[in-house]
Amino acid sequence: MKKIFKRAVTAALSVILCGYTAIFTASAKEPYDVYNYDRWGEPIPSQAGYTAERAVSGYDLGVGAMNMPSDIFCAFDGNFYITDTGNNRIIAINSDFTDAVRVYDSFIMADGTKTALKKPSGIFISAENQLMYIADTENSRVLITDLDGYVVREITKPDTEIYDSRRTFNPQRVIADKAGNVYVVLNNITTGAAMFSPDGEFTGFYGANRVQPTAEIIGDYFSGLFMSEEKLTRRTRNVPSGITSFDIEGDFIYTCTSSSTQTTDTIKKLNSAGKNIFANNEAVFGDYSPMYDTSQNRVLASAIIDVDIAEDGNINCLDFTMGRIFQYDEDCNLLFIVGKNADQVGGFKQAAALESCDDRLYVTDTMKNTVTIFKETDFGEVVHKASALHNSGCYEEALDPWLEVLKYDGTYRRAYLGIAAAKLRSGDYGEAMKYAKLADAGKIYDKAFEGYRMEFIRNNFEPILLALIFGSIAIAGIIKSRKDKKAALAAERKKGKSDEKEER
Amino acid sequence: MRYYRIAMYELTPVQWVAHAITHPVEGFEDMRWKKSGSLKIAFFIICMLFLANIANERLYGFNHYVPYDKIFNVVPYIVKSFVVFGAWTVGNWAVCTLLDGEGTMKNICIYSAYALVPYVTQLLVNTLLSHFLIRDEAVFISIITIIGTGWSAILLFSAIRSVHQYSAAKTIFAIALTIGAMLIMLFLLILLLSLIQQVAIFFSTLFMEITYRIRD
Repeated sequence: MKKIFKRAVTAALSVILCGYTAIFTASAKEPYDVYNYDRWGEPIPSQAGYTAERAVSGYDLGVGAMNMPSDIFCAFDGNFYITDTGNNRIIAINSDFTDAVRVYDSFIMADGTKTALKKPSGIFISAENQLMYIADTENSRVLITDLDGYVVREITKPDTEIYDSRRTFNPQRVIADKAGNVYVVLNNITTGAAMFSPDGEFTGFYGANRVQPTAEIIGDYFSGLFMSEEKLTRRTRNVPSGITSFDIEGDFIYTCTSSSTQTTDTIKKLNSAGKNIFANNEAVFGDYSPMYDTSQNRVLASAIIDVDIAEDGNINCLDFTMGRIFQYDEDCNLLFIVGKNADQVGGFKQAAALESCDDRLYVTDTMKNTVTIFKETDFGEVVHKASALHNSGCYEEALDPWLEVLKYDGTYRRAYLGIAAAKLRSGDYGEAMKYAKLADAGKIYDKAFEGYRMEFIRNNFEPILLALIFGSIAIAGIIKSRKDKKAALAAERKKGKSDEKEER
Repeated sequence: MRYYRIAMYELTPVQWVAHAITHPVEGFEDMRWKKSGSLKIAFFIICMLFLANIANERLYGFNHYVPYDKIFNVVPYIVKSFVVFGAWTVGNWAVCTLLDGEGTMKNICIYSAYALVPYVTQLLVNTLLSHFLIRDEAVFISIITIIGTGWSAILLFSAIRSVHQYSAAKTIFAIALTIGAMLIMLFLLILLLSLIQQVAIFFSTLFMEITYRIRD
């Protein structure tokens, strides 16, 4: 008997211990606390959607140390292209990120001469025409070359009236759409990205940010009403922050702005007409409220310096201030927050660019001179599957993945939203109400409640009708009896008083 | 006929409440004439206001309003009911004593509390209704809110008019002054609170300083 008891205790203990170690290894991998936002917009601990797999330096790739790798792009052939800014070169890396396939030091111009890059900081490879677009910053040009290193076209500072000739032309980022139009982010232009036709002609600016209507700017507007023309021309002008980086997915261009004082237009989704589809979206990108750092006496507000759109439509934003990656689904619902400014693998010193490919995220660091590779965790996989199904309208198919998500993280708000939507679609109103309440989704709750009420009335029509009839009869009876009582009382009083009178 | 009227007005305290709130024009005049009104019932109404405020905030239908239910702080509700009502009573008494009002503090308290019955009812009815109506039907809730609040406002006007035996114009003037007096009182209260806080901090630092010195 004693032996059995002992064995049982050991078994129980070992199970508990195993569980502990399992939890420990699952959560201790990141050099930071993984968090997400709950339904009140307050940060709470959460499961990691991505975990740092490894950090790759130039030595690992066999090309010597990288110096400020400022941009990374995953091309159609699966290879990665990194602008090694400090070394003035482009490095092509194989899809496993183990070896450099090719290093572009110089390119051959149409007339046969060689040309070198000078601090290139942006790269884009078009899948349509298989050309490489390089923002050659300090040479003030955008190079369009084929993958063998032959220059097809060179875009330099436009010579038109629209482009102020006093301004420099320093391309930071470059992309091209399917038609071959080239968009260039310039470091000193706040009126949007410069747009060039496929044959290199300047066609205007695209996607300028709005000026955020802060109290100061509104005050300036009113004081401006009373100013003379001379005064108006000499006052400081309110210009919006420029675009920091962008990415193209299908017909849409996503831009980001790193200005930490700006809270509107930090992430924009622009259609081909340059209209922002997220303009009326209430979503906040980055951390909800800036953190105050007492040791440095400064406010750490999110500054999103790069944006990347994954193949499944998820929006990845790279926050420079805190070294965090914020991942949103295509409807701007927050999925994951990954990363931190730290020395360990998975932390950054100066995060610069972000790229996603399949189930991995690649982040370059211009101070560590590495590329950190994050791999999707099991949890991340389930969430991605569920949100992809949900966003394509298959709410009921997404139900099982969402329930699976809740097994990993019971406070994951997005899952409750998904389950509520699925239950509502399948007509299970009671459950839909329950989950909508947990997700803080008043609108879904309202829809579910409408259905629930209808169902309730339909199922209990006879009792409700009977209760109504008997209730009204009872109320009418009570009113009548009270009236009778009052009348009787009044009559009695009257009689009593008149008796008194008679006696007198 | 006279006997009949007298017979009608021999009402219980609860019946007086019903009479006052269903007769906005002469209800309070009748009450004053019969010297009726119960402080107990007035206090009960204010307690109900307090509870109805909480219910309206915390038990409201989820499809209409999502409360921040992570914490519960009772102080705002106390302020919204007891403190505001107390400030109203004291303020009105202070103002109307100077303006030849006839009302005593007790009567001001009773009459004002009776006038709040429609407002409290509205809060409770809406809280209940919000569990049966969907968002598209929220207009019924707003209608009830408007009726309840408006009714209470009219009653409050009538109550102040009859408790002090004022003309309509003077009542409006007195109410405006009362609101001003309430604001001044609340301002002074906050001032006092912050002062007390500062004094408390001063003594606690003093105590801490002394303990450090003694330890050395």
